[in-house]
Amino acid sequence: MIPNLRHPRTYVSLLVLSLLVLVPLAFNSPFVYHLFVLICVYGALATAWNLVGGYAGQMSLGHAVFYGVGSYTAVLMTINFGVSPWIGMFVGAAVSAVLAVAISYPTLRLRGPFFALVTIAMLEVVKLLVVHQGNWTGGSAGLSVPLNIGLPWMIFREKLPYLLIAFGFLLATLWVAWYVRQSRLGFYLVAVREREDAAQAVGVNTTRVKIIAAVISAILTSMVGSFHAMYLTFIEPSAAFSLELSIQVAMFALIGGLGSVAGPLAGTVLVLPVAELARGWLSSLGSGTHGFIYGVILVVVVLTMPRGIVGQFGNRVRGLVDRLPRLGTITEPKVTSQLHHVARPPQGEPILKAEHLKKNFGGLKATDDVSLTLHSGEILGVIGPNGAGKTTVFNQLSGFIRPDSGSVTIAGDGGGWLSPASPNAFARAGVGRTFQIAQPFSGLSVLENIMLGAFMHTKSRAEAEQIAREVADLTDLSALLGTEAKSMTVGGLKRLEVARALATRPKVLLLDEVMAGLNPSDVEKAIAMVRRIRDSGVSVLLIEHLMQATMALSDRILVIHTGQVLTSGSPQEVVTNTEVIQAYLGKGYESAKPGAGGSERQDRATKTDAIRVQDGKGYQSAQSA
Amino acid sequence: MDIFLQLIVNGLLLGGAYAIISIGLTLIFGVVRVVNFAHGELLMIGMYAVFLASQQLGWHPYVSAIPVALMLFVTGAVIQRFVIQPLLKADPHIQIFATVGVSTALLNLGLLIFGADVRQISPGFGAESFQLGELSIVSGQLVTFLMAIALVGGLHVFLQRTYVGRAFRAVSQHRYAASLMGVNVDRMYVYAFGLGAACVGLAAALLSTQYPVFPTVGSYFTLTAFVVVVLGGMGSLYGALIGALLIGLVDSLAGYYISPDLKEVVYFVIFILILVVRPTGLLGLGRGSE
Amino acid sequence: MLKVHDLRAGYGKSEVLRGISFEVNRGEVVTIVGVNGAGKSTTLKTLCGVVRAQSGRITFDGADISNRPANEIVERGLTMIPEGRQLFPFLTVKDNLLMGAYKKAARSTVAKRYEEVLEMFPRVRERLAQHAGSLSGGEQQMVAIARGMMASPKLLIFDEPSLGLSPLLVEMMFEIIEKITAQGITVLIVEQNVFHTLKLADRGYVLENGEISLSGTGQELLDSDHVRRAYLGM
Repeated sequence: MIPNLRHPRTYVSLLVLSLLVLVPLAFNSPFVYHLFVLICVYGALATAWNLVGGYAGQMSLGHAVFYGVGSYTAVLMTINFGVSPWIGMFVGAAVSAVLAVAISYPTLRLRGPFFALVTIAMLEVVKLLVVHQGNWTGGSAGLSVPLNIGLPWMIFREKLPYLLIAFGFLLATLWVAWYVRQSRLGFYLVAVREREDAAQAVGVNTTRVKIIAAVISAILTSMVGSFHAMYLTFIEPSAAFSLELSIQVAMFALIGGLGSVAGPLAGTVLVLPVAELARGWLSSLGSGTHGFIYGVILVVVVLTMPRGIVGQFGNRVRGLVDRLPRLGTITEPKVTSQLHHVARPPQGEPILKAEHLKKNFGGLKATDDVSLTLHSGEILGVIGPNGAGKTTVFNQLSGFIRPDSGSVTIAGDGGGWLSPASPNAFARAGVGRTFQIAQPFSGLSVLENIMLGAFMHTKSRAEAEQIAREVADLTDLSALLGTEAKSMTVGGLKRLEVARALATRPKVLLLDEVMAGLNPSDVEKAIAMVRRIRDSGVSVLLIEHLMQATMALSDRILVIHTGQVLTSGSPQEVVTNTEVIQAYLGKGYESAKPGAGGSERQDRATKTDAIRVQDGKGYQSAQSA
Repeated sequence: MDIFLQLIVNGLLLGGAYAIISIGLTLIFGVVRVVNFAHGELLMIGMYAVFLASQQLGWHPYVSAIPVALMLFVTGAVIQRFVIQPLLKADPHIQIFATVGVSTALLNLGLLIFGADVRQISPGFGAESFQLGELSIVSGQLVTFLMAIALVGGLHVFLQRTYVGRAFRAVSQHRYAASLMGVNVDRMYVYAFGLGAACVGLAAALLSTQYPVFPTVGSYFTLTAFVVVVLGGMGSLYGALIGALLIGLVDSLAGYYISPDLKEVVYFVIFILILVVRPTGLLGLGRGSE
Repeated sequence: MLKVHDLRAGYGKSEVLRGISFEVNRGEVVTIVGVNGAGKSTTLKTLCGVVRAQSGRITFDGADISNRPANEIVERGLTMIPEGRQLFPFLTVKDNLLMGAYKKAARSTVAKRYEEVLEMFPRVRERLAQHAGSLSGGEQQMVAIARGMMASPKLLIFDEPSLGLSPLLVEMMFEIIEKITAQGITVLIVEQNVFHTLKLADRGYVLENGEISLSGTGQELLDSDHVRRAYLGM
């Protein structure tokens, strides 16, 4: 809960922060006090905005709505009921929290500019309504705060108390931002920001995570708004619910560095004084000066250092700070691993059942009455021509597509059957999946990527890390743990997909073409890996075009054609089935019927050889043609 | 009944004004895939240019339409080339901030140069109204309405029939593949942004006969333009036209039957609902969910 | 016709191609085979001007085309059919084909070329009015090839034409490529499907770790122990 004060990063941060109070004390001029109150207020607002805009990646440009609600609630409570703003601000925070849920729940699907547009529209709507309800909001003329001087009313003659309170708000906001950043929630927010589907697949309830971030951010913004209203002693809709304010706050965060704890404050400290001073010095030029400067700085920063000040210089500063001594010895907490043991049904019992799945896209029957059962400890191969509907079935098995009719059920721990309702619920019920096109959280390291899977069963970072290391061992990724996911090769990414899914400790692992695009020796390794996974007790369903791998691995093969199950059976039954050959394998496989007899496994080996030889024949006959 | 009919006509004509503003926005989004938050400021620049041409040179706004459109073509092309183009591969939020930054800078520049005063041209033709039976119609509004329809038709033919138009569509769907066809993608973006801005220039000239100009005139219209474009489907020309007419009607009817200061609430609520429920727009022509 | 000399290229700090040299002569079918990650796609992207060459020289028809913009390279007659088809999904098949003839040199003869290409791909003719995105994978690959042919290229480059296709479609794909080469168009193919490709090719190069490790005629490479062991799993 508390940052380690002995760590140089912590004590240096606190020393730097204290300058925000010490500098104005040294100058002791009203203007400097005012400037630093503004820095604290805007710094806190930008830090709060960053929880949504930076951590969760939702570009809100209507955040002033929470600021305005905080301002108005506190002021109205003071005027009408004589309630102290110290209490009023909590009422405002509660209203803002409700509003945050109301705004964010329906808009979760929206991304980038569309989310920004909706937040702007929400802001406009609230502003217009406040203006319209003039009889109790004061309308467009605004409201004055009653001037009851004293701590209970947050109104003072001197500037110093204001500064101290503002500084307190800033510290509290920064602490929340820090705490979220290093927690599991912080990891989840990054995951949701980068790849929502992949986050779902490791069991993240993306809706919940985003709403939590929105609510925390709204509460903080609202409370700062309450304080700022008392400081200004006057509020009006056009200032309290202003698009300009929303943009400014977001801009400070961006300039400082989105997603970092220190960034928003850094951005505020650097930009706000420049613009405020310019407003003073250049006021003779006209009223647009400081806005113009804001706009130009924003464009220049975006063009020259899109990751902001922290992104640009953060590592260097951290490196310098880390050279400072630690105060006293730091005892690293010891990890005692109590790895979650997953209960699985006995070998050979059904573990996942799909019954009569149907799914239409427009007029296309993508899945037309597909039923299948995966047994415990089994590897089930699914093959079929392109466009046959394999991936659609796969997405229904993992909850990413809801079937129009039919059901998917998974064996529960207690012996009953679960029918989860969302992709993340499927993941938590024990269905791990990979994506055909690898979906790494590209800004995170390989270790952190796998940890995201591991977080499904633990809140502890240390424990998640340990699980991740074990899984990395199983998937040949141990040497790459520190690598950023975006700089991996295709083969590495495919293994990372598998590792992340495995880290959720699934009962069932769904593999979607994890071998496509791999070279022959990597394919051999991948086959061995899938065997190891099965031997560790995980049942596997794999879609694969590479017949070599499907034949070598599968206990059973299911053929899907035009959205239906064409046939299923042992690998040799399937490859010798005339219909299958017609639909999928092509004429090259026709003469490759192996002789009967031998153990199953040997038979399979013979089969693979037969295919290779057949490939050779194909080449020879083509040559003579 | 008469008042109702008049309201419908007013709504449709107002829709023409919204359409002419929205066409450029939807074109730029459709091709470059950038939501241009500085759209309103382009309109402001255009309207000040029209105002200056009228005040200094005595040009009627309709006369300045072509030069102002050309001027905005250049402005748009410059913004694309020097601000958007370096950021094409950046995250969407970076692009948002870039255009928001341009918007903030231009708006305040307008304030610096022209002050906050509201200025109005008195153009003669375009401002007066005539009677059509019981109905009263402002000539400028009618011209704007007709021009909006003509512009949508013209752009449609351009996009369907010409190599450059086809390249616009190709680039918007698949940059990389378009470059393999020999399309100079960056240049197409510059053209598209310029063309979108030029449409705004045309809008500025047409609207100057009826609306005064002031630094924040853009913000007044842009939010509406966004509503229109989202309603019709981001990137769709026809969608923008239909969306504009609908919003014009809502504006006119809600302003009369509900309350003038709540009419914006009505269409912002429509806007939010559309984005939430059907992000591809009413006709499903856009790709708002991307 | 195409000469690549000591080409080095990469992304950011990582060097993918470490000085490769090869050539394609007029009328030949040349293939570059190699494992995933060896640098095949990077080679092609560098040829087409999509990825910057860090050093080395690419000449095409005698002119230096290293680091020229992609559109200029297309104008010179070098067209690539990219990996994964990359059609314009919401354009009709017809508009996709017309986009293939976007380059200025192709526009004047577009009507004639259009007929020739449809002659070759009767399946495509049936789909002209449909959105390209609504076609099946195999049909999309045909449209992709037809679109490439629309440019009347001097050199046609295929990047992994068989990727993601079922075995039956892979066979059809190679039949089509054979048809194209029979017309005398110079072809460069990059493939993982080593058997089919080496069979088809006049000459081949083996790319390993960003370097050319082997070269020879298709037959020589097929017979080479190294290729058989590493790529054919024999």
